[in-house]
Amino acid sequence: MQPLLSAECLSKNYGHGDIFRDVSFTVDAGETIGLFGMSGSGKSTLGRCLIGLERLSDGRVLFEGAEVSKLSERRLRELRPAMQMLFQHPEMSMDPRMRLCDSVAEPLAYHEGRERSDVFSDLLPLIAAVGLRPDQFSCYPNQLSGGEIQRAMMVKIYSLSPKLIIADEPTSMLDMSVQAQILGLMKNLQKKNNTACVFISHDPQVMLAMCDRIGVLGEKTFRVMNAGEFAGYAADLSV
Amino acid sequence: MNILEVSELNVAFPTRRGLVRASQNVNFSVKEGEICVLIGETGSGKSVIGQAVLHLLPQNARVSGSVRYAGEEILLISEQKFSRLRGHEISLIPQNPTGSLDPLMRCGQQVAEVLDVCGVPKEEHSSRTTSILSALSFSDPELVAASYPHELSGGMRQRLTTGIALAASPRLLVADEPTKGLDYAARKRTIEMFLNLKRRGTDSVLMITHDLELAEMIADQAGVLYSGELVEFGPAADVFSSPLHPYTKGLMAALPKNGMTPMPGMCPGLAQLPDGCYFHDRCPTPCEENHVHPLMHEVCGRQVRCSRC
Repeated sequence: MQPLLSAECLSKNYGHGDIFRDVSFTVDAGETIGLFGMSGSGKSTLGRCLIGLERLSDGRVLFEGAEVSKLSERRLRELRPAMQMLFQHPEMSMDPRMRLCDSVAEPLAYHEGRERSDVFSDLLPLIAAVGLRPDQFSCYPNQLSGGEIQRAMMVKIYSLSPKLIIADEPTSMLDMSVQAQILGLMKNLQKKNNTACVFISHDPQVMLAMCDRIGVLGEKTFRVMNAGEFAGYAADLSV
Repeated sequence: MNILEVSELNVAFPTRRGLVRASQNVNFSVKEGEICVLIGETGSGKSVIGQAVLHLLPQNARVSGSVRYAGEEILLISEQKFSRLRGHEISLIPQNPTGSLDPLMRCGQQVAEVLDVCGVPKEEHSSRTTSILSALSFSDPELVAASYPHELSGGMRQRLTTGIALAASPRLLVADEPTKGLDYAARKRTIEMFLNLKRRGTDSVLMITHDLELAEMIADQAGVLYSGELVEFGPAADVFSSPLHPYTKGLMAALPKNGMTPMPGMCPGLAQLPDGCYFHDRCPTPCEENHVHPLMHEVCGRQVRCSRC
C-alpha cells in the first residue's frame, strides 16, 4: 500500500548552513509520527516544508504519490483541504477582528463555495464533539482562553476532513489538564476520521503518549525510532 | 523558623464584569531553607500571590490580609520601606527572562548592577559576576558576561535572570514559572540548578509554577491553587504521591506519564464564582448538598479544602 506522505531526502538551508539534511520518512493513513528535537533543531521548519509553507532546498515530498512542489496551482488548491496545520499559538492563528463563527466557517465556505452562515450550522456536531457551546462562537478570539481557541481551531481544521494534520506543538502553551483534554480530543477525532498526523513537540512524554513512531532531529541527523526505542532515548535525556 | 507567613491574603481587581477575586483567604508559610511550590493553572491566582509578596501588584488591586517576612509585616508597608527589602532580602526570578533583561546592556553589567546597589566595591564586580555565573553551570562565564541577552539561548537567559536574582544573596527567592517556554534540555538544566540550590540548603524559595514535574522534583512543601484558593497544602512528597483533593488527583492523572486522563469541564471565571465548592461541577465525586463553601481542614498532616476528605 502506498503511504499517504513520503518525505525523501529532505534538506533545508538558509544560506548559512543546513537546518536539516537527509530527512526521509513515510506516514500511513491514520498513523501518528512524531518529530522531536530541541529549540532550533528545525522541527517546525520541517513541518512547514512538508505542507508547502516553505520551500525545500533539496528532496521531495510525495502526498498520495504526487510530488507536492511540482503540482499546478489548481491541483494544489484542490489538495489543500487534505493537508492542514495546527499551530503552537492558537491565539495568533485566528484573525483577531473576526468572530470565531466566521473564522471557523471560512475554510469550508471557501472550498465549497458556500455562505459562512450555512456552513456554521453544519459544524454544530463537530463543535459539540470538541466540548464547546455554539454561543461561544459569537466571541472574538481575545474573549476566550487558550484551550478554548485551540478547540475552535480544531473545529476549523477538522471541518475540511483532512487526511493529514501537521500539529506544531499544539499544547506547549497550555496547562497540563487542558493539554490532556486537547490531546485526548485529537486522538479521538483522528481515530474517527482515520487522519494521519505529524506531531511536533519537544516533550518526550507527550511524544510517547501520542505517537506510533518518532523521528528525532539531532544536530544535522535524523533518525526514526519506534516508541520503545524512543522511551530508552528519552530516559537518557531526563534528569 | 518561618521566613514568610502569608495569612488570609485576598487580592481582587474591580473590572467591568464585576470584582475579579484573584486570590482568596490564602494561608501558607515558607520555612527558612525550604522550597515551597504553589501549583496552579492559568488564572488560578498563583502569580498574584508572588506579586503581592513583592509589592508588584497593579495599583487598582484591592489587597487585604497579612504577609510577614522574618516576623515583620510587609504587605501594607510603604513603598519606600519595602524597597529596602526588594532585591536585597527578597528577590524575584521573573516569568519572562527575555522581556526582563535589558537588551542594550551586556549580561555581566546586569549582574554587576545589583552588586553595585548592594555596595560591593567596583573592583570586585567582575570576579563576583564570574563566580555567580559559574555557580549556575555556565561553561564560559566570562564569555556570557561579555555577551548581550540576544546572544544567549532561552535557557541561558533563564539562568542569567536567576544569577541576577541571587547576586544580592537574598534570604527569600520568588521564582515565577521558571521553566515556562523552555525546551526539554533547557528545562532540565533549570531543574538541575534548583536542585543545586536545594542541596545548598541556605536559600528559601517560593516557586510559582504549573510544571508539576518540576514541583515534584524540587519542592519541600507544595500548595495547589484552584480559582484563587488553596485547595491542598502540605509536604510535597505526600501531596504528589497520594493527593487528597479531587482537583489535585485530576491534575496528576492529566500528566502524560500517568496516562493523560483529562478532567472534564473548565475552571469557573473568577468574576462569577459559585457560592458552594468551586470544583463541584468538575468533581468526580461531588457532594449532594453544595450550599456551603468548604473550608481548609487538616487531614493526614496536610490542609485540604474538601468536605469529602
